[in-house]
Amino acid sequence: MSSETGRSSGIASRISGAAGRAGGAALDRLTTVTGPINRVLQPLANVYNRLIGGYFGEMNGLQFVLVVGTLVGLLTAPFWGNYALIQAMIAASIWAILAMGWDIQSGYTGYISFGHSVLSGGAGYTTAMLIHNVNPELPMLVTIPVSVLAALGIGLLIALPSLRLSGPYFSLITFVAVLIFYRMMNPLSEYTGGETGLAGVEKIFDITEPVQSYYLFLLPMLAVAVALLIVARSNIGLILLAIRENESAVEAAGINATKFKIWSFMLSSIPMGIGGVLLAHRFGGVDPGSFIVVDNSIEMIAMAVVGGMGSILGPLGGAFFIILMEDIVLHAFGLDAQLRWAILWIIVLLILVFARQGLFRKLWYGLERLGGDRR
Amino acid sequence: MLDQILSVLLLGAVVSAIYALVAIGFTMIFGVGGVLNLAHGGLIMFGAYAYVVLTSSSVVGAIAVPPAAGFVIAVIATALASYALYAGLVRYIEDNVVITFLSTVMVALLLTNLIHYRFGANPQGTPSVLSGSLHLEGFGTRIGYMYILGFVLSWITIGLLWYYVTQTDEGRSILATSMSERGAQLTGVNLLSVKSRTWLIAGAFAGIAGVILGTVEPTTPQMWLNPLANAFIIVVIGGIGSIKGSVVAAYLIGYLQQFTTEFIGQGYVGIPSLIVLVAVLLLLPEGLYGREFAHE
Repeated sequence: MSSETGRSSGIASRISGAAGRAGGAALDRLTTVTGPINRVLQPLANVYNRLIGGYFGEMNGLQFVLVVGTLVGLLTAPFWGNYALIQAMIAASIWAILAMGWDIQSGYTGYISFGHSVLSGGAGYTTAMLIHNVNPELPMLVTIPVSVLAALGIGLLIALPSLRLSGPYFSLITFVAVLIFYRMMNPLSEYTGGETGLAGVEKIFDITEPVQSYYLFLLPMLAVAVALLIVARSNIGLILLAIRENESAVEAAGINATKFKIWSFMLSSIPMGIGGVLLAHRFGGVDPGSFIVVDNSIEMIAMAVVGGMGSILGPLGGAFFIILMEDIVLHAFGLDAQLRWAILWIIVLLILVFARQGLFRKLWYGLERLGGDRR
Repeated sequence: MLDQILSVLLLGAVVSAIYALVAIGFTMIFGVGGVLNLAHGGLIMFGAYAYVVLTSSSVVGAIAVPPAAGFVIAVIATALASYALYAGLVRYIEDNVVITFLSTVMVALLLTNLIHYRFGANPQGTPSVLSGSLHLEGFGTRIGYMYILGFVLSWITIGLLWYYVTQTDEGRSILATSMSERGAQLTGVNLLSVKSRTWLIAGAFAGIAGVILGTVEPTTPQMWLNPLANAFIIVVIGGIGSIKGSVVAAYLIGYLQQFTTEFIGQGYVGIPSLIVLVAVLLLLPEGLYGREFAHE
């Protein structure tokens, strides 16, 4: 097609393409330096590749160092970070769970959902409503599984009718689902607390023990990341990706695509439930403004976009990037909260237009090239 | 009881007329470019704030034009903003549906944050184009003149649009493009110009809806959400891309919501529309008049 719009739409890709080529040439020159470093590190990576590479995919020495370095950095944060940083990292851990949960459904199948804040919000509300309406003494061992199950139920409720639709229709319906859920809060205010929400959820963030509390958020995040990575790198992940690329081909191969889409929605409901419960326990309560509004879904999407949709670890990085930018970096300039988010939206827009793959996927492939020839 | 029914009939008609304005702009952009413009609600808010800035001297500088002039300028400004959104952003990325609608969401939120930063979260005092209200003794209700103005304007603009897309060559090329982009190109239609005109028209519709909504409801940084959600529901029920479907569905949803408010309760407003929406999706996934002439 040689329409004018066809030509103009090429401009953005040409600009990013040119930048990519210039960057690529620089990368290739750097390889002479980084190649030997990579060869030194390669034996370490090979140990990993032989042991568990089959589950997560293989990597070269530089990539191995990045992953291990990040992991060590995350695990030791309480020992070198200050209070504000730890607070931000706790928030980032929760949001990373939500962004990864969104990614396994929307990022992988290409069915973009704006409704995921209903899943996390539903789980948070279930926890608060159990404590508020049923019995304030309910132990977490009861409330947490019930809340995650509630997220699953809500997920099924949204997925069954909406996944009959394709593309934009699906996104519209999930968007509407959030607004309806939000509006239900007021008529049911006897149970939900209406606009003000409910308080009284046990806070598991203890100010006097920031170190211990930090791990209560970090470890579930890492567990979710590992679990989702295993699924994403398995044949199931492959089918979900195939649905994104060409759904009729999947159907033609004798695979029921709708079934897999519903499964992916279910699969993403579980991390959404975990994230929602953690969010409720962090704030010590729930309210519609910080749990359900569609902005929450869009923030998850923004994190996934920044990191790279359809990669699980990308959204994880994106969540830390956005939260740390918002709470630490832009905060340091003393900007108003509205202005901070405005800047972040501009960053996300730029990434959408010029780096559709996402920052962390670019970094990952950059390291692959820096490692030089593997053989 | 009779009073209530009459009041539902009257209020429903004026509310639906505004819904129709919002939904038509949204559906036209989808029909022509296949672009889901989630910033459409943002454009409505842009129109409302443009009107506030222009007409009340207390907001920005000492600009204060008469309300009627402010109305016209705000509508033109919104149309231009809509065109700028297309020419400055959407044009370059419309080949990828997902990237496009994610980008328009980001634009909507960016606008929300900027307006919140500049004007604060509190509702703005908006001077009416026409103040006062019509008291209808027989019906036991009163309707603001703004609502009546909205109703009249809505039908005038819908009529003009109908004339434009069915009777003029320029307009027919818009209709042709929404039926089949390739077919339109083969007959010599300039796609870029068709799309630009569509975004201008959609922006103007959003501007009119924005000024009217801004005067009858509070003008706040969150005001874009409900009109956008209603537009979604209406457009899906009417069939994405169909102007006729949008008008029919706008009246369906407008009356349904008015009926719910009057007889069931304000808090349940969205629920019956959702039930209708789900029913339509399950029975007629394409909507009432979904893409009736379209060739994929």
